[in-house]
Amino acid sequence: MAEELKMITTWSQAVCEMRLGAGRQEGGSRKVTLTVGGEETLPFLFKEGALPHTPLIAVEIFDVPQDDEPEALRRDLRGISKDPVTWAKAMVEDIGADLVCVKLAGIHPDGANTSAGQAVNLVTKILGAVDRPLIVLGCGEAGRDNEVLPLVSEATKGERLLFGDAVQENYKTLTAACIADGHNIIAESPIDVNIAKQLNILISDLGMPLDRIIINPTIGALGYGLEYAYSIMERARNAALSGDRMLAMPFICFVGQESWRAKEAKVPASESPAWGDQRERGIMWEVVTAMSCLQAGADILTMRHPQAIKIVKSEIQELMKKAQS
Amino acid sequence: MDKCIITFLPDNKKVVVDRGTSLLSAALTAHIHLNSSCGGDGVCGKCRVLVKSGKVHAEPSGRIAPQDRNAGVYLACQTLAESDLTVEIFPESRLDLSALSREELALRLRGIYAPAEDIQEAKPGLTQEVFAFRPLVEKFHFELPAPDFNDKLSDLERVCRAVQEKIGDAPLHTGLANLRKLGELLRTSSWSVTVAVAAKGPVYEILAIEPGDSSQKNFGLVFDIGTTTITGQLVDLTHKKVLGTKATYNRQATFGSDIITRIIYAQAADGLEKLHHAVVDVLNEMAESFIEEHDVDLNDVTCVCVSGNTTMIHLLLRIDPSHIRQAPYVPTANYIPAIRAAEAGLKINPHGVLYCLPGVSSYVGGDITAGVLSCEIFKSKDLELLIDIGTNGEIVLGNNEWLISCAASAGPAFEGSGMACGLRAVRGAIQAVHVDPESLDVAYTTIGGDKPRGICGSGYIDLVMQLLRAGVVDKNGKLNREKAHSRLRPSSAGYEFVVVSGPQAGLDNDIVVTDADLDNFKRAKAAIYSAVSLLVRHMELKAGDIRRVFVAGGFGTSLNVESAVFIGLIPDLPRERYVFVGNSSLAGAREVLLSRDAAQACDRIAGNITYFELSTDAAYMDEYMAALFFPHTDAGRFPSVKY
Repeated sequence: MAEELKMITTWSQAVCEMRLGAGRQEGGSRKVTLTVGGEETLPFLFKEGALPHTPLIAVEIFDVPQDDEPEALRRDLRGISKDPVTWAKAMVEDIGADLVCVKLAGIHPDGANTSAGQAVNLVTKILGAVDRPLIVLGCGEAGRDNEVLPLVSEATKGERLLFGDAVQENYKTLTAACIADGHNIIAESPIDVNIAKQLNILISDLGMPLDRIIINPTIGALGYGLEYAYSIMERARNAALSGDRMLAMPFICFVGQESWRAKEAKVPASESPAWGDQRERGIMWEVVTAMSCLQAGADILTMRHPQAIKIVKSEIQELMKKAQS
Repeated sequence: MDKCIITFLPDNKKVVVDRGTSLLSAALTAHIHLNSSCGGDGVCGKCRVLVKSGKVHAEPSGRIAPQDRNAGVYLACQTLAESDLTVEIFPESRLDLSALSREELALRLRGIYAPAEDIQEAKPGLTQEVFAFRPLVEKFHFELPAPDFNDKLSDLERVCRAVQEKIGDAPLHTGLANLRKLGELLRTSSWSVTVAVAAKGPVYEILAIEPGDSSQKNFGLVFDIGTTTITGQLVDLTHKKVLGTKATYNRQATFGSDIITRIIYAQAADGLEKLHHAVVDVLNEMAESFIEEHDVDLNDVTCVCVSGNTTMIHLLLRIDPSHIRQAPYVPTANYIPAIRAAEAGLKINPHGVLYCLPGVSSYVGGDITAGVLSCEIFKSKDLELLIDIGTNGEIVLGNNEWLISCAASAGPAFEGSGMACGLRAVRGAIQAVHVDPESLDVAYTTIGGDKPRGICGSGYIDLVMQLLRAGVVDKNGKLNREKAHSRLRPSSAGYEFVVVSGPQAGLDNDIVVTDADLDNFKRAKAAIYSAVSLLVRHMELKAGDIRRVFVAGGFGTSLNVESAVFIGLIPDLPRERYVFVGNSSLAGAREVLLSRDAAQACDRIAGNITYFELSTDAAYMDEYMAALFFPHTDAGRFPSVKY
């Protein structure tokens, strides 16, 4: 493999480095802080430039139980997913998730409609239970998120968490809160490199430093537009390395959410015997989606299944070994 | 069938119509033209009327607020007469068909018909000898030698011999009517006759033979038929002089504000007929008032030269335009042969000729060929660009070696249509705006200095630029809700910014710009810019390579170049490279009328322009998405713009 990379490209710019979590001396309470980004070249082309940080896996957890959870997940998370705090702790300590991604689905007015106080309480409790940084997501309903997320942001001020998602139609409130409380922000665009850039400009125009923005390019699972997402990420990363500052942010890919929505991950073997065991199928769907995103340049993967997390984590370690060789 | 009597106020006009007739049709029958951008589909909400008495049947419409509905406000197009009615027409619902005032005319025509001292910058002025002066129709006076036993040439051959001495050895045709009276005419006029000869491509035609010397009485008309505005000039073809200029609205607007709506309308029963008459009537009325004012005999008007987009030309000639909007978008004809003006319904000399400037494709018409001709892009060694901004933005890029064009569907935002308080460039339209970045106080000027009635294209360009600079609008084109100011307020759909407070200006309603307007506007500017950008990229060039940009169009003359660059409508080039040409279509048509060399050049131009189809180009969507931002997603393309 001595000649694996013959063409060496010299890029003009590195991706921004984003720091996640603040320790005690920085005004936070995290024992473990993390950094993503900083790539000087395309994924895993170690000969071409530095790739200083290992991609991270965040475990996706929910504040309230999800009724449409696929059977494989329900069974394998039995016992822990009823309580978000236990769930977060178990996935970090037993499975090895690098950080925790809490989706506050329950605050949706059409859903459980839990109060802002409950949301603040829950996030604070998880912060107390795990020593790692958190990702905090709203419910997706703009008005409600704008009420609740600033309160959660304020309550966790100084912890340097990652909040999301800011979208083109609704980014100002969350951005202002994150700037004020020292958090990072997720900028979500609908598989469109232009909108990704436009949103980064809008957010940075409000005063957010570029190294505190991470791009959610929106992905589709394997078979559901993954290649489209791949090419958008590739374009954005090429632009970033070629000098476009407004696209030089790390990527976060919501792998768990997307893969477990795929029919292939959900349909039981009884309905489609030729497809084989549902659990294995679901896990592999999540793994393959995650691995593809890594190849496209993902810096943080959010995932659900413990087994999938373990597999992808060990694959990442394998891939990163080359950095030392 | 039951009849209903409908009385329209304040005109107090009464019409009798069948029960079940829409109020829009009834108004038309009463010769009252209502605004109807959507062509009567109940979508645009511009034909609001107040039913004061009587019974109607109305389709429900979201365009009418509940309190208005209870007060008896209806959309005329969606409301059918069920009994005798009294209907009041709101002033804003009325289509303004009056001829334009002098100031408006001056504004629209600046640069093409200006007094001698202003003509320097205008391209090209009448003083400039670009093409040899040889009108399409010429009149020659001959004292013919009478035949005798030594010269027994027939009467017609005798006339032809004389004519060919003037025009050369080209084929010469004439009609039977001329022949039938020729023998008698020549003898009673003692062989002193005037012959009108029309150039029809390589062939010539003797249009008319008149007794005596009338060679000094030869006139032609030129028209630019725009989707919104029709402009015309009366030209003395003997003395190469423009005698008068007039502009008025295209009455087809009653049947829809954009060409697609009109093409659809043409499919309706009598639709094509109505569209045809709407335009021909305007041309005839304009011609009539010209000849009255300048004491010209109708018979001495020998030719008409018309430029317009492909659809307008089809409708003028009553040719079914339906294939223009059906893939693969092929018109019936791009080159229209010279025809009898009378066949198209134009009332000039019965033998008079109608010339239509050749188009390139369904969406790049003769008006654009005319623009290229009058801006002389086809002669330039340097790379030049023509942008004609209208509902359809047409763009031509090239030089003396090649020309390429495309058409981008911008929507009618720049013409003030589809905007909450939009207005065409008529009296009372806000055309220039200044917003104080601190106090957000708005200063504005209106066309004609009248009380503000709405905002026209150039006004919107200024306004958006000023709001961006003041931070009231973000780069995504959304009003900044966090900005606490009395001018910013929530509305039924999103937010709005009050440009002019109604009570203060003596209006019933405030003049506002809404989030939806800004969205329309952003799409319109993105369509134009991305078309320019793609065309330049397609030729593997850079915007900076363009040495001169001609901006044409209804609002081009009052456009603020700084604002237009600031919002990302046109490329960020040194400002001196921009030239505003106003109505380049009319200027081109006039050159053709006055010079058969220009006519030939025009044919060549139309043949040489390559049409580039944007809709099938994979890169267009990406360019368009990138342009949906102020000034652009790639700020590096607008280095001089700082927010």
